Amino acid sequence: MLPATYEPTNDPEITDMINKNAIKILVPTLLMALAVLSQGFSDYTLEIGFRLLVMITLAEAWNLLAGYGGLVSLGTASFVGIGAYALTGLINKAQFPLYLAIPFAGLAAALLALSVSRAVFRLRGLYFTVGTLALAEALRMFMVNYAGFGGASGLFLAVDPPSLYVLFCIALALMAFTTLMMSIATASRFSILLRAVRDDEDAAAQIGVKAFRIKLIAFILASFLMGMAGALQGLKVGTVEPYGMFGIQWTVNVLSIVIIGGQGLRWGPVVGAFFVITLGELLADYPALHLAITGLILIVVIRFAPKGLVGLVSNMTASRQGVAK
Amino acid sequence: MSLPNLEVIAGSLASGFLLGGSLSLIALGLSISLGVMRLVNLAHGELLVCGAYLSYFLLNYLGFDPILGLLIVGALVAVVALPFHRLLIAPLAGKGMEAPMMTMFGFSIILQNLLLLSFSADTRTIEASYATQALELGPVTVPKIYLIGFVVSVALVWCVHMVISRTSFGRELRASSADPGAAATLGVDVRRVHAITFSMGAACAAMGGVLIGTAFSFTPSTGATYLLISFAIVVLGGVGNIFGTLVAGIAMGVLQSIGAVILGDGYRDLVGLILFLLALALRPGGIVSGRA
Repeated sequence: MLPATYEPTNDPEITDMINKNAIKILVPTLLMALAVLSQGFSDYTLEIGFRLLVMITLAEAWNLLAGYGGLVSLGTASFVGIGAYALTGLINKAQFPLYLAIPFAGLAAALLALSVSRAVFRLRGLYFTVGTLALAEALRMFMVNYAGFGGASGLFLAVDPPSLYVLFCIALALMAFTTLMMSIATASRFSILLRAVRDDEDAAAQIGVKAFRIKLIAFILASFLMGMAGALQGLKVGTVEPYGMFGIQWTVNVLSIVIIGGQGLRWGPVVGAFFVITLGELLADYPALHLAITGLILIVVIRFAPKGLVGLVSNMTASRQGVAK
Repeated sequence: MSLPNLEVIAGSLASGFLLGGSLSLIALGLSISLGVMRLVNLAHGELLVCGAYLSYFLLNYLGFDPILGLLIVGALVAVVALPFHRLLIAPLAGKGMEAPMMTMFGFSIILQNLLLLSFSADTRTIEASYATQALELGPVTVPKIYLIGFVVSVALVWCVHMVISRTSFGRELRASSADPGAAATLGVDVRRVHAITFSMGAACAAMGGVLIGTAFSFTPSTGATYLLISFAIVVLGGVGNIFGTLVAGIAMGVLQSIGAVILGDGYRDLVGLILFLLALALRPGGIVSGRA
């Protein structure tokens, strides 16, 4: 079902081993240093940093689905949107404290994933893709038309959003949590089961892998992370409205980050996020042109570098080493 | 909310029935790409919008009537789409379904934003002289354009059916669909069949777009909704089943109209999407029945 080029040709065991050590020591140290250092950052740096962290979180979650699970989702926007709306509701209506509202918003997204799983997993592969796109469009249309959640003009957060520095630190914590979850997920038995289901669902089922359950766990975990990222975004803007929070741009950006960075590769989302955010900043005044160029890059990357920038670089280093020998 | 009177309900049911014909035509384009090439053409909606713009400009600058010019739009889009198959899809042959699908997603983003840059986000309508005329069929009143659209759509769906079932190209198409490897061994140029199928799919979308653009309105971002509604119809009707697609399209049109009457016009498209998710959840045995 899946193309040969999408198979883990880069020897995941070895990359996992390198990454495991790197993540254990390097990443927490760097994150702590960053949290301390960022007090001195300018607003612009914090702004970009916040966006980068949120996008990395979303991309990591998407990578779990698409890269490791073969579940290409076009429904990112639905989980971002649900997260943002849930946060606003929990804070406005139930007076949830901030630090509780974010994980609960993530749970709301996970519940959404659970409730649509029957529809989107009923059929394989591409129907998941189209089903999630339908979910995102349906939710956006519902939010625009249904007055109960503020309709097209949306809802205002009743409390003042925290300062940019605090938001940045929450985003940092969220990304650290995501990295931890992803490290656990990709270095465990679960990742092997997930990849087995991706590469050949029938064969995996034959040897006793519960394919539906494995896919569902990945979908729920990814949606939980996406929901929290959406909640954080909602907290930052202070107003949640359907065009922004349920907009297709979330889906497009997250998907292009992972595809450009490298699907199914541990560092793909990070590299891709830097690339896509930089491109976005360069073309900030031309949103339509930005999207069109993103589309073009996507097509070129899929055709010539199916493992993205990270795959390209590791191929180049591998071949150079080969020459040196 | 009080229910509207019976005549309004009957009128909107009839409208839904007639619009369903155009939806079938659009869905058929998606269905043949999926059935023959295993291509999930995520740019189908944008091809539809391109057809609508083409017809809009043909009418406003050259005075081409949208219905009479329908085949011209279809032919133009088919010819333009042909090299894109070679450029985008053919090189990804043998790399599974995901790579071409995501390529078409990239293509749809490009098309949508180029349309946005060129023609702004303004809502447009192809203003044919007869678009606003009403037609009385006994107690029921429907816009005349709906009936014209229905007749044209059904005729075009029938044409596609005849091409597939009666011509030598159709035989090659059916062979390539059933077993590309065996077809190639027997001398069928599968790549050529795929290229023409892609073109035919694009033409169906574009012609459907003309009908939609005349009956309703369109913007550069209209495509996604019609892509998904087409998918719903393909799911309900069965991939490669032309008669099923026609029936499912009409059913979709009627159900959407019922939704619009009960919930309000803003919910028309939402009803289509929810039906799609329900169809995915409830239709057992899968969509690609028989062959996968």
